[in-house]
Amino acid sequence: MSYKFTYRCAALVLYVCATVQPCCADEAADLVKAAINYWRDVSSYSVVDMTIHRPKWERTMTLRVWTRGEKESLVRVIAPAKDAGNGTLLVDNKMWTFSPKINRIIKIPSSMMYQSWMGSDFSNNDVARADDLVYLYTHRLIGTGTREGRKVFVVEAIPFDSAPVVWGKEVIKIRDDYVLLEHAFYDQDMVLVKKLVALEIKQMGGKEIATVERMQKMDNPDEWTQILVKEAGFGINIPANTFTRSNLRNPRQ
Amino acid sequence: MGITLRLAWRNIWRHPRRTLLTLSAIAFAAAILVFMVTLQLSSYDAMIDYTLRVHHGHLQVQPEGYLHKPQIRNTIPDARALGSHVRQLTGLSAVSVRAMGFALASSRARSYGIQVIGVETEYEGKVSTIPGLVKKGRFLSSDDAQEAVMGHVLARNLKLNVGEELTLLGTGRDGSVAATVVPVVGIFESGSAQLDRHLVQLPLGTFQDVFSMGDHAHAIVVLGDSLEEVEELTDAVRFGLPAGSPLVALSWEALIPGLKQAIQMDWASGWFLYLSLIIIVTFSILNTFLMSVLERTREFGIMLALGARPGRIGLLVMLESIWLTLLGLAVGVVIGTVVVFYFHIHGFSYPGMEELAAYYNLPAVIKLALSPLSLTLGPTVILLVTCAAALYPALRIRLLKPVDAMRGV
Repeated sequence: MSYKFTYRCAALVLYVCATVQPCCADEAADLVKAAINYWRDVSSYSVVDMTIHRPKWERTMTLRVWTRGEKESLVRVIAPAKDAGNGTLLVDNKMWTFSPKINRIIKIPSSMMYQSWMGSDFSNNDVARADDLVYLYTHRLIGTGTREGRKVFVVEAIPFDSAPVVWGKEVIKIRDDYVLLEHAFYDQDMVLVKKLVALEIKQMGGKEIATVERMQKMDNPDEWTQILVKEAGFGINIPANTFTRSNLRNPRQ
Repeated sequence: MGITLRLAWRNIWRHPRRTLLTLSAIAFAAAILVFMVTLQLSSYDAMIDYTLRVHHGHLQVQPEGYLHKPQIRNTIPDARALGSHVRQLTGLSAVSVRAMGFALASSRARSYGIQVIGVETEYEGKVSTIPGLVKKGRFLSSDDAQEAVMGHVLARNLKLNVGEELTLLGTGRDGSVAATVVPVVGIFESGSAQLDRHLVQLPLGTFQDVFSMGDHAHAIVVLGDSLEEVEELTDAVRFGLPAGSPLVALSWEALIPGLKQAIQMDWASGWFLYLSLIIIVTFSILNTFLMSVLERTREFGIMLALGARPGRIGLLVMLESIWLTLLGLAVGVVIGTVVVFYFHIHGFSYPGMEELAAYYNLPAVIKLALSPLSLTLGPTVILLVTCAAALYPALRIRLLKPVDAMRGV
């Protein structure tokens, strides 16, 4: 009888602990969701320069990027000429790449998703799974601050035990108008591995966005990848057939 | 000293049967050790050599830092010329240039991340057994041919066969997209799971073209005549490299440290077994010595009374044990050497070894190598341990009092 009683008490305690959320979790999750929605909008089109910097070497590519909703994006290289026409299509976290040299579409296997995307410091996953941050993590508001007179929220996101994520945690700084200022990636020993920082925020395409962002590997300060947004439009009408494999191979825009 | 030595010799033959029994225990242990140690060392050498001959070679010239961080940008410029230079320098023809990269390999059915290596088709067969292990189709024909060979596990995973097209997608040296479609002309079975699952080879020229390498490459692989010469050869190559170039010559121990470590671990665990054997033998010897001291209490008492110093009697007992051990070891080493010599000529094999050997890419018979080290290592350890054991009976003599001892049993 006493054994059973103890057991029930323990079960009850566990149940209560499991259901009580830490303070402000919902608010933090909403913040992250809002920031991601603000960043992607209902749809977007942009032209960006991606610069990959290494100690003895640097390379810049110009890309055109289309996104629609949370699940669809298309990236196409337009310069340098050697790489023009290469493209990446993302639909539902699945990734395909096309290269005109071989005139073939290749699906990126999940085992390659943590590999570098086009030789940059972004992994395929960074490009593909931005909204995982909303659905596969628990969020906690760990601080607030101000920058240039505006309020900044600091949210810590820890992936669910079952989530297919390599990171131990991610820390995101979000301005009060939902502009993402910083996104830091920690490994499972909670050591900072890389950090995406907004270096410049400007009005473009009808709203404030981070026009210069830099992904910095922490172990080597001289290795980074920078994204410079040259042109952007949001909430525009993008035809549904943009995000198809046939369009990846034969551009209609 | 002379008389003590002779006395010791005569003493051990006072009980011929007991002496012979102890002797045979020592001889048996020594013979087993000689055989086992030789077998172990020989199979290590064979294993290392055959593993290296598959792919890595005995040594490689690489750009500094490439080993720990294999970045495609870290290269050897004008690599073919350096390859010929190393060929001249060493007088070996088994020198081959390789360029390496990572790529996504895909067929109609599937995609996998793999390693792509561009090889000098003319020389690759001299440093690596892979060209000879192509089980379906053929090896690469010339340095600029548009074709590929791949491991059989990868081919199975990609559902590709000889004659079908393989698509490679990666990043070139200048950061550009490297992509090509080539027909598979051969499929190899190297016996190494790693290579069979993850390796695609292209002709060097084709690789350099696809990965925007120019005349650059990543490694110059050298295979010497035997494992013993590797150190000298590495030094020779190191000193022959152009002065001031950021290149390093790395022997196989640096290239695949895991191989050496696995062998050291096996060697250490082998010695647990040998030490147990030696300890058991030592106890039986200790028993004999202790008996012979205890049963001769009266004799030692008389010797002490006649003026012999305890130290001298102790020395006598020590010499008896050393005689016995040396005699046993001599017989054991002779028997062991004869056995080793037989397998040196005919090769050693045991049932089921052929399959196992084929799997690990080992020869089906191991030729035992006659080396002074492997023949004497085991017996030396036995000698040291038994000498240490013989100290105890020898030191006991110091405790004897002449009068009591003479009245003893």
